[in-house]
Amino acid sequence: MAQKTTRRIFVRRSAAAAAGAFLIPNIIPASALGMDGKLPPGDRVVMGAIGTGSQGMSNMRDFLDLKKAVQFVAVCDVDSKHLAGAKQTVDAANKNNDCRTYGDFRDLLEKEKLDAVSIALPDHWHGIIYTEAINNKLNVYGEKPICRTINDGQTIVAAVKKNNIIWQTGSWQRSQPHFRRGAELVINGRIGKVKYIEVGLPDGGRGIGTPPVQEVPPELNWEMWLGPAPKVPYRGVSHWDWRWILDYSGGQLTDWAGHHIDIANWGAGLEYTGPAEISGTGVYPAEGLYNVPVEYDFLCKYANGIEMRVANASMLKHGMGTTWHGDLGWIHTDRGNVLTASDPKILDEVIGENEIHLYRSDNHWQNFVDSVRNGTPAIAPIEPAYRAISVGLLGEIAMTTGQTILWDPVTETITGNERATRLLSRPYRKPWTLPTV
Amino acid sequence: MDSTNSLTYREMKKQLTIYLIAAVFTAVLSSCAKAPRYEALIVTGQSESHRVSSESVKQIIGETGLFRSEILFFGSDTREMADPVSEFSKYDLVILDYEGSELSESAGTALIEYVNNGGGLVLYNSKSDPGVVASDSVTVSERHDFEIRTNIADHPVTNGLPVRWLHAADVIIQGLEIAGEDVRVLAAAWSDTSFAGSGEREPVLVARELGKGRMFATMIGSPDGNENTALHCAGFIVTLQRGAEWAASGAVTQEVPFDFPTAAGPVLRPDFTEITYDEVFENLGNYDISKSTKYFTCLQSMVRKAAGDEEKLLKLEKDIVKVLENDEAEVESKKLLIRELSWMGSEYCLPSIEALSSVQELAVDVDFALARLR
Repeated sequence: MAQKTTRRIFVRRSAAAAAGAFLIPNIIPASALGMDGKLPPGDRVVMGAIGTGSQGMSNMRDFLDLKKAVQFVAVCDVDSKHLAGAKQTVDAANKNNDCRTYGDFRDLLEKEKLDAVSIALPDHWHGIIYTEAINNKLNVYGEKPICRTINDGQTIVAAVKKNNIIWQTGSWQRSQPHFRRGAELVINGRIGKVKYIEVGLPDGGRGIGTPPVQEVPPELNWEMWLGPAPKVPYRGVSHWDWRWILDYSGGQLTDWAGHHIDIANWGAGLEYTGPAEISGTGVYPAEGLYNVPVEYDFLCKYANGIEMRVANASMLKHGMGTTWHGDLGWIHTDRGNVLTASDPKILDEVIGENEIHLYRSDNHWQNFVDSVRNGTPAIAPIEPAYRAISVGLLGEIAMTTGQTILWDPVTETITGNERATRLLSRPYRKPWTLPTV
Repeated sequence: MDSTNSLTYREMKKQLTIYLIAAVFTAVLSSCAKAPRYEALIVTGQSESHRVSSESVKQIIGETGLFRSEILFFGSDTREMADPVSEFSKYDLVILDYEGSELSESAGTALIEYVNNGGGLVLYNSKSDPGVVASDSVTVSERHDFEIRTNIADHPVTNGLPVRWLHAADVIIQGLEIAGEDVRVLAAAWSDTSFAGSGEREPVLVARELGKGRMFATMIGSPDGNENTALHCAGFIVTLQRGAEWAASGAVTQEVPFDFPTAAGPVLRPDFTEITYDEVFENLGNYDISKSTKYFTCLQSMVRKAAGDEEKLLKLEKDIVKVLENDEAEVESKKLLIRELSWMGSEYCLPSIEALSSVQELAVDVDFALARLR
């Protein structure tokens, strides 16, 4: 694969080459050059941020922690308070007052010359903004789940492939050694042939009833926050808590699918495929604005015979995390460095030189920056992210319809069920449409 | 009551409240196979609180359509049963809603014998009054909302219910000791120390099979002398209904209702009843989102349950369309119904949805539905 370069970096490199300057190969990490991790300012990856709420700011801080590997120059949010806070953070890091602010992502994409963009938005905006950013040839660090619907996901995957950009999903568990170790043991057969996987995701939480319609806070552009989602009056729920309302999210299930289902797929070799049959049930609150399932339990059957049960943690013996069951034992992994096995000796196994060695990254944000510089794929590329959330979304469709869903993971279509097929997409509210790739 | 009697009483408590609390299994399905309805006897006390609770229980189990019940007031001014065993054995189920000291030893023994011989026993409201503690080791928390978690999910009583649900305005009975390995704690609640709680997980629903019979005990649903909110909690009502059927028959045939509470919040049934199909459609048109979403979520549940049954789905669709065509129905209601039809509707609903495109407030929702349906 030809080394991918972004426009800015490419131009800079070409200029340096033309001038006959000594060009340091970008694949050598700065730390190896005795520069204490610092690169000349001109070599920083120039970034913008779209969505500067809690997760957006968390990602920005993780990027800024990379000892000046990146330089943020522009931020965008529909909440002017978030925007001011983000600018302050960026300006403090840059020691100037130059960070540009936007209330509309289209202006940022049009006016800024960036290498990459960090995007952290409510799920209902992912389809449009990811695709637009990718169509603008920007490298993207994008939050999971990468889409609210299967159709959104297919479009984003197609856009990444067509535009050949570097994509990193915010499924940072991949960059933690114990998750990688667990997946690597499994994929190298240390528990034998994988037969069954359990994925435990968080239980749903308490509702808030139906709060009254209230005045939109002056800092919030409610119309733009809703974007393609149905027009509804403001009831005090926007930031963070959007994930408990089906118009914007599928709840804990889809919020976490991009983590533990992703890890499950990584270890079981299911990263580039999907289940053939999905069935299960959800528990929905009888009352209130929050309408996502608070409990969920569904089974996915794969063509190769593997079965994966996805449920809220209280349903499962191992609770949260991923548990692979093979014919020789099981391995369980979760946050908090949890890595256990049916026989602890399994965890001491050495992976031989000629066995499968999974992609190694010790810092998810550094990995993205390195990938952008080197033009190499990042550890959490787009299709595995799409395949992970697809499991969650197909489970959602099975629970909504009350039916067993037959899914063709090759053609990515539902077989013989018109109603379920309609749920593969959500119509966008005018004037918004899903961009073409 | 002298100390000997007191000890006897405590022992009986152990058997009735705790043992029984945990009891109730066994088969003996022959009688239920023959009779779809069960005869139940509710044994209760004389106080106003007992009057409220026993009448509530009568209505609650009656709602299932499985039980016909009568109430026996048990106390100083009622008869002492001459032969309790033969008295109880007339019934498929005895519900003990009583803990007064008048419950004689012979009656307690009779209940155990009744269960041993194949009877079903439900123990309820056995520690209802926070001011009365029958055992040194048993305490009662302050009244508050708390979460109940399923311990055993594959028992007929709990099977299919949410594993976490919020129960409203009740007390938690604390320090109950479970007697015997065959006692099964089906659900428990962590008793929060900030509400005079024990800081421990306390049993809430308990089952035990004893001899040929079964015992089911519920530690929730205690009257408060006022609104009696805890008795109106759908979680209390449904687990009592299921526990009663299981105690009487060894199986549970009742479907899990859409309004069983979840971790999202408690759900109350003001008149103990589950919403009916007709009620849903009578109320959908008057939908006020600020008051309740229950008719709409009930509709969604009915659609899920009708999965694969085109006839039922079409009936639902036709009834939804009637609401859409009703000029007096609320716009907020129509918005939700159009969204539901967007995935579950057929050609039948298209003309009605298209006709609503001229209603400005509905234009976005009509677009949404037509994009999916056409």
